Amino acid sequence: MEKKKMSKQEERRRMRKIRKAEEADKPSMVVNGGIGGKIANGFLYAFLVVIIIICVVPMWHVLMCSLSEGKALLGHSGVAWLPVGGLNLGGYQLLTKNTGLLTGYLNTILYVAGGTALGVLMNVVAGYVLSRETRWKPFMILFFVITTMFNGGTVPTYMVVRALGLTGTRWSLIIPGATNAMFILLVMNAFASVDKSYVEAAQLDGAGHRHIMFQVMLPQCKGMVMVTAINTAIMKWNSWFEASIYVPTQKDIWPLQLWVKELTQNTENFLKVRNPDYNQYLTQYTVVVIATAPILLALPFFIKRLEKGMVMGGVKG
Amino acid sequence: MQKTKNGKKSWKQDFRKNWPVYLMFLPLAIYFIIFNYIPMGGILMAFEKFSPSKGILGSEWVGLKNFVDLFTGQAFTTALRNTVCMAVINLVFGFFPPIILAIVFSECQNRVFRRFAQICSYLPNFVSAVVVCALVTEFLKSTGAVTEFLTWLGFERQNWLANPNIPVFWIINALIGVWVGMGYGSIVYTTAISNVNNDLKEAAALDGANRWQRVRYIVIPSILPLAMMMLTLSVGTVFMVGWDKILILYMPKTYDVADVLYTYTYRMAFGQTVNYGLSTASGLFQSVVGTILLVVSNKLNKKATSYSLF
Repeated sequence: MEKKKMSKQEERRRMRKIRKAEEADKPSMVVNGGIGGKIANGFLYAFLVVIIIICVVPMWHVLMCSLSEGKALLGHSGVAWLPVGGLNLGGYQLLTKNTGLLTGYLNTILYVAGGTALGVLMNVVAGYVLSRETRWKPFMILFFVITTMFNGGTVPTYMVVRALGLTGTRWSLIIPGATNAMFILLVMNAFASVDKSYVEAAQLDGAGHRHIMFQVMLPQCKGMVMVTAINTAIMKWNSWFEASIYVPTQKDIWPLQLWVKELTQNTENFLKVRNPDYNQYLTQYTVVVIATAPILLALPFFIKRLEKGMVMGGVKG
Repeated sequence: MQKTKNGKKSWKQDFRKNWPVYLMFLPLAIYFIIFNYIPMGGILMAFEKFSPSKGILGSEWVGLKNFVDLFTGQAFTTALRNTVCMAVINLVFGFFPPIILAIVFSECQNRVFRRFAQICSYLPNFVSAVVVCALVTEFLKSTGAVTEFLTWLGFERQNWLANPNIPVFWIINALIGVWVGMGYGSIVYTTAISNVNNDLKEAAALDGANRWQRVRYIVIPSILPLAMMMLTLSVGTVFMVGWDKILILYMPKTYDVADVLYTYTYRMAFGQTVNYGLSTASGLFQSVVGTILLVVSNKLNKKATSYSLF
């Protein structure tokens, strides 16, 4: 296993070297020399720097605010480039005492894990079923495609979930929305592009459906399955609306995002008591940081796959 | 051809051979029937005086009364006006930034810097709606950074989210959409541009085309069909106008300008005065208009560029 990985890495490194050498050898005809080219380049870089600032500064501001002194921050205006009034970890200390929020964090992890596992299982089985040459195949595909075009809307879906007795339970946040037809069609295309001779060979060896699905075909469609898994996980992590209608009052099973919603509204209520703990003012920032940091930190690792999925199926993360 | 000759037998044979496959399909079918097909039947509620205790089939049938109530009600007409205006502003604001961004990315020759800028521009897309709203509130409050900037430009200091004047909330909503979707939306265009034949660009360069001319006459025409396709797609979903963020951001002071069909539907179902019939009618109206828009824009697109979605 270890050896294989090493060789893969080496191979990649070699390819990169070759590519670099080729590029160095081949002088591009497209040159942007002269003063005009330099000015244009300057504008391009300036534009991109502005874009980076617009996209990153809001998050940076919140991070710095979460590390600030509450009282100083209350009187501060504009962007906080550095912690206002000196570094202060009090906001985060306060978070560790907020048991509701911590439960919410664990709940969200549970919903993400459960929803993604269920979704991936359904996607793989659907992909396999639709890759088999059966007489019902066109109808089965149509069965999924119809759901991309029509839907009942929020209220009827809510009625169904309630009729099933799922409202007010954790299941209402795991089972609905675990997969959708877009993901299934993506995985179906991946399964369909597996070379049929592998499947036939496995069948000759007497392999059953389960073996063919998981051991023969799945390893070759790993990429696309991962794309759907990542998308489902992000969707579940960020979702709040479902929880707000399915479990509006059961605070012990609230996901993280509902706590974020509650804690970032009415942020100055704490001032009404006589000796206010100014660290409470920081809660609105710390909670945003802990809810957002995991996804943004993980982003560089899965962004390549998501880009690929985006191009292939227009899937939005 | 052979199969259709003795169709009946081959259906049977097919089932005998493939029954495990169909068995695997069964749970999926149940899942989609429960969560997708049964709710479709829920639109019947739009024609009923629905009461949860009697159920969908037992409730009183009232024909088109819900729709009449809907179109004559003050709240709905305001919501409809807001939705249409926001939809148009969102389309206009949201269409160009991803394309411009993709062109700038492709013209940037420093690979490392370009990649860094790209990933930074994706970040807002992965921030949850709740957090986006918290950020917007933070930056637009009366001491927020954006407010400071606008005050410096000469506008009156205020909490911009509470401004009930007409285009303010609409523009805020559109700009939130741009911030969230710009970078991620540029991915498809970046890929399309990188697929443009490099020889074409080099030939143009040899012929003396400058950089702007190369972008104007090679890059833009080659991504135009894709851009039209993306526009068509976004027209179909345009009525959704960022409703989940509006639901968090609007307040009693701005109801008149911020209430949209989605929030109206939501309030009618989960607010203080519950009226499921009215809510479903409003939802049905939205999806019918959305479908019509998609079909019409696809037709127009087909005429203009001879590409179409379906």
